[in-house]
Amino acid sequence: MAAISPATATTAASLSLPQFTSSSSSSSSSSPFSLSFKTATVGSRCVRCGVRSLENQSGHRSLDFLSNGDPISLINPNSSPISMAAASSESGSKCSKRVCLFHSDETRDLAERIVAQSDCIELRSINWKKFDDGFPNLFIQNAQGIRGQHVAFLASFSSPAVIFEQLSVIYALPKLFVSSFTLVLPFFPTGTSERMEDEGDVATAFTLARILSNIPASRGGPTSLVTFDIHALQERFYFGDTILPCFESGIPLLKSRLQALPDSDNISIAFPDDGAWKRFHKQLQHYPTIVCNKVRMGDKRIVRIKEGDAEGRHVVIVDDLVQSGGTLIECQKVLAAHGAAKISAYVTHGIFPKSSWKRFKLDTKGDPAEGFSYFWITDSCGLTVKEVMNKPPFEVLSLAGSIASALQV
Amino acid sequence: MSENAANNNNNNTMEKNQICKDAIVSELQKKKVHLFYCLECEELARNIASESDHIALQSINWRSFADGFPNLFINNAHEIRGQHVAFLASFSSPAVIFEQISVIYLLPRLFVASFTLVLPFFPTGSFERMEEEGDVATAFTMARIVSNIPISRGGPTSVVIYDIHALQERFYFADQVLPLFETGIPLLTKRLQQLPETDKIIVAFPDDGAWKRFHKLLDQYPTVVCTKVREGDKRIVRLKEGNPAGCHVVIVDDLVQSGGTLIECQKVLAAHGAAKVSAYVTHGVFPKSSWERFTHKNNGSEEAFAYFWITDSCPQTVKSIGNKAPFEVLSLAGSIADALQI
Repeated sequence: MAAISPATATTAASLSLPQFTSSSSSSSSSSPFSLSFKTATVGSRCVRCGVRSLENQSGHRSLDFLSNGDPISLINPNSSPISMAAASSESGSKCSKRVCLFHSDETRDLAERIVAQSDCIELRSINWKKFDDGFPNLFIQNAQGIRGQHVAFLASFSSPAVIFEQLSVIYALPKLFVSSFTLVLPFFPTGTSERMEDEGDVATAFTLARILSNIPASRGGPTSLVTFDIHALQERFYFGDTILPCFESGIPLLKSRLQALPDSDNISIAFPDDGAWKRFHKQLQHYPTIVCNKVRMGDKRIVRIKEGDAEGRHVVIVDDLVQSGGTLIECQKVLAAHGAAKISAYVTHGIFPKSSWKRFKLDTKGDPAEGFSYFWITDSCGLTVKEVMNKPPFEVLSLAGSIASALQV
Repeated sequence: MSENAANNNNNNTMEKNQICKDAIVSELQKKKVHLFYCLECEELARNIASESDHIALQSINWRSFADGFPNLFINNAHEIRGQHVAFLASFSSPAVIFEQISVIYLLPRLFVASFTLVLPFFPTGSFERMEEEGDVATAFTMARIVSNIPISRGGPTSVVIYDIHALQERFYFADQVLPLFETGIPLLTKRLQQLPETDKIIVAFPDDGAWKRFHKLLDQYPTVVCTKVREGDKRIVRLKEGNPAGCHVVIVDDLVQSGGTLIECQKVLAAHGAAKVSAYVTHGVFPKSSWERFTHKNNGSEEAFAYFWITDSCPQTVKSIGNKAPFEVLSLAGSIADALQI
């Protein structure tokens, strides 16, 4: 069992977690603070995962330190204290499904975190090279070894340029005599281009759904597609019956995080528009809500508060994704003008094209009009995570635990 | 006028009328086709439209959102209802596939009478087999994506492809599409006929694969076949059959990448006494400007290739090469205009 490094205590403080002692660990679950480590060696990198159970907490927080020492808050809301302790013990727990997890270049970090969550998931690799003409030169290592195994691929379509190479692997894997195939695509891009308002509009969300619906069946039947907080509820019907979409959400991670805040009893949830309210209000029912909307005034569109009261509250704006951040900033101004004490934001997908995350500053002076207290994103968009790591107000909530559970479905 | 003469006149007139009618009917039977195209292919699209009165150019707004994903709009979408529609595509790199596929998957569903995809160059064609379990044959991925084009009122989409790399690839496409395999070789034979008669032209194939693909189309010329032989660690090009001595040898292949194979062949042919060596490939892929190895440098050194013919299937190459000797671009425009009438 590894001891905690001194860096741990400092970074824990920056994440505003309750302090814990740096005494050596015990795997007994009888003490209120039990700490155990699981070490997974993946290639040349070592991922250490610290698990901590607190009797009074409903979720579990673990600190996952990547080899470069950066912390990511890793919440696993699905596990109970006993099963987590059992899972992290060296004897291992019973797996309902052992899964071989392949991944794209960009998703390596998240793949390693997923594997660290569960003894049932094993990391596999692919050689990603290119020919001179730019087209991919791919090789799936140990392809014979996945026969009869449950196989998954963790994809990330962060730009159109990386779709074809991943698609080639996605189309090839199910046909290698695997017992089932699951595509994990945490963020489904093009989600906002899902309608034709004029004849001639091209709804690229439908193109992508069509491309994915064309994944060949494996011995396990249709491919399962795991995706988080898809932009429009209607998009679940864009997929043909040849694929089984599994729609997950990052909101449980947010709920666990909010419960751990010192002012957790003063939180209100704000939705930037009715669309966000429709998508998320049922999962956040026990919080008071504020709903904003955009109102046309002449040529301009202005954000107003439609319902709810921000006065004196720590308001958390919730949406599925953020692009330029314009909408969130508009909401921030309105909420501050209506007396919010603190303002934070949560989006599942931090797309932030062209580094637009830089617009979001930390509120250092208690002035919510000037800055955010927290800005939570998940690790669905790996490129963004690399940029915002360790930069307050950003905190990354990892989907690893949720994905690991989804792979057992 | 005697009765016979009058009858003859009448018969002649009737024949002429019939010929005119046939011509008019066949003109009327010609399909009017609305041709959309990707940005890279604008020049080829214009050339195709100028080959025929029956082809009208249409346009698409190609823009991007800030996240890099496409923001597209098909202009005049209502006008193409009940019309024959085609799209001229070029998958010159993986990055441009998704935007074109978005248009290709939508056009057939706009109540068009028929839909044709013209994809002159089918990339990934050389990666079409699994030698080991774990190889990923991207040609099959590409064929699968193309096979997934929805049907229109005209039935399965026709897909026009020139000189696909491997003959077996025609079977990679599912029944939902109708692939039409064309060739650029007639453009070459027409060009060769224009060369001075004193040139004794023979055709050389750089390997057996090229011979299998093309020898039947070029059987009016004597042939030379090369082959690669392993000598220790190296692979050396050798002459397998035929005699190039004193001839103008034209090396024929479907595509060129780095150009290494062609250069090796040229050396062997020259060593066996070829008077002149030229090359023809349908697809000048030339990644990383590898065409520069072939240009005539005005420094007194001997010009290895007298002519290097390529078609305009790879528009990025055509733009870069322009008219630099020894390159000559043979246009597929006429051939594509004819194919659109099928």
